[in-house]
Amino acid sequence: MEDRSRAGVRRTYERIGTHFSKTREYAWPEVESFVDEADACETALDIGCGNGRHAALLADVADRVVGLDASRSLLDAATERVGSRVSLLLGDASRLPLADDCVDLAVYVATLHHLPSAADRRASLDELARVLGPEGRALVSVWSTAHDRFDAPEDAETGFDTTVDWTLPGGETVPRFYHIYAPAEFERELDDSGLETVSFEISSGNCYAVVVAET
Amino acid sequence: MKEDLMDIICCPLDKHDLDLDVAERDDEEILSGTLTCTECGERFPIEDGIPNLLPPDMREEAPA
Repeated sequence: MEDRSRAGVRRTYERIGTHFSKTREYAWPEVESFVDEADACETALDIGCGNGRHAALLADVADRVVGLDASRSLLDAATERVGSRVSLLLGDASRLPLADDCVDLAVYVATLHHLPSAADRRASLDELARVLGPEGRALVSVWSTAHDRFDAPEDAETGFDTTVDWTLPGGETVPRFYHIYAPAEFERELDDSGLETVSFEISSGNCYAVVVAET
Repeated sequence: MKEDLMDIICCPLDKHDLDLDVAERDDEEILSGTLTCTECGERFPIEDGIPNLLPPDMREEAPA
């Protein structure tokens, strides 16, 4: 049965983590471009780092990279892949265990949409704003109604909650919670949070926002 | 975890500093130990080199 809590999301990824991780081999091109354009910096953060595929990119430009995920099973995969170059933390995206203003560069990719309530998602964006330093910049992506698999129109005002099954190798399915964002809704949530949007685009059915902390 | 991570990690609940108590370390990393919030006293374990800074309501295996 589906469990709509952050603890439930964590349990889901503890169950599917090992298999899920094997299907997430390559970095997304949108993330590669964002990191390529970034200046060298001291501290970078990957929220929802999974197996570390994007944290590995950050390690090319930052002296220190922190990868945070709610699933120990995914962090074990990350340890294997990037453990020597990335500091891994088990933590909650809506209550970050990081000091104010300590992050220069962050990616928060395909994770926000798993937080099961609007309040959690809003808190998480505010937390990102809190940890970003004055010169800090982040790339935030969510799955959106612009994706072909959803019937909802791309120009809807609000998105919807749904579950998408993950099929394990034995055929067992595990439901995963998603909030599918309407692009306009995502832009509104960013505006309402402590973040300021620098640029916004839709690519491969996902919304991508480059953001800074509001001054 | 590397000890210099202490510069930036904090309590996920009240964002205060953490005290580090090392149980086991090798040349580079702290392998196990405890992080304790200097304000609220909440304790967070370091397990197999990774700090578990999940808030208590996500850490416990509470019934679904």
